[in-house]
Amino acid sequence: MAQSLASECTPLKKEYDSCFNAWFEGYLEPAVSASSSPEKYSKYSQRKAEEFQQKCGSVWKEYKACVQKALKEKGLDAMLQQSREENPLSRPPPLPPSSNSSS
Amino acid sequence: MKYHSQSFFYDDPWSIVSLAYFLRYPNPYASHIISCDVISRIVTPAGTLQTTRLILKRGSLPRWAPKGIISRAESWVLEESEVDPLGKTLRCTTKNLEFTKVMKMEESVFIRQTEDGQTAQTTEARVLSGFGWGLTKRIESHGLNRFKAHVQRSREGVSLILSLLRESRLQTMTLG
Repeated sequence: MAQSLASECTPLKKEYDSCFNAWFEGYLEPAVSASSSPEKYSKYSQRKAEEFQQKCGSVWKEYKACVQKALKEKGLDAMLQQSREENPLSRPPPLPPSSNSSS
Repeated sequence: MKYHSQSFFYDDPWSIVSLAYFLRYPNPYASHIISCDVISRIVTPAGTLQTTRLILKRGSLPRWAPKGIISRAESWVLEESEVDPLGKTLRCTTKNLEFTKVMKMEESVFIRQTEDGQTAQTTEARVLSGFGWGLTKRIESHGLNRFKAHVQRSREGVSLILSLLRESRLQTMTLG
């Protein structure tokens, strides 16, 4: 399953996945000081997003373009669009940083 | 509509379980996954990560499945997830994109940190069939049985990745 839906996109997918996974490990563990206030956390996550852009931005662009093209060629974009219309996922709003609720 | 829910705990902290969950494909317990692609991913203003993935999986059709209606043994599912590293929660919902007129199945996973530093996972499944012709109940039960078998396998897959991660982190530490 380390395959992409289109074989020509698989090398890009692998490169993107490695880049993302490395970034993601750091993203999951916010530095203790960053969690101390909503403003600090907001700055921290902005920095994390920028870091992702720097490290993985260009491979993501290429990979995404490859997948979009494959989706169109295979006629899958219609299926995706339809599922979004049929069943727009109403997710609960993102938790505000200061709350710690569990559902 | 049928509903089923199951919860269990991991000894490991939330961040490593979430990492293992994200890395769960490929693993030997998930050989039915043919392809997996990220089609969108954003960091929200609240600092959470929202991801949408398109996954192709091999399915085994039950003997009584109407062959004219379900013509292929592979189908597409959509996975949508949201990770909140501050609140230490991970929500992930997977649903089938095809054959929805026969059966709609949605699996939701919620992984959160517990007060004592462990990690709790709750998995819910909703199966809905409006197919009629006397097949609704069987389709819904079949979907639910598949789900139950899948939850155990999924847990084994994640546990495997967890132990690999633990080992590799130990090695990194001893190499200093």
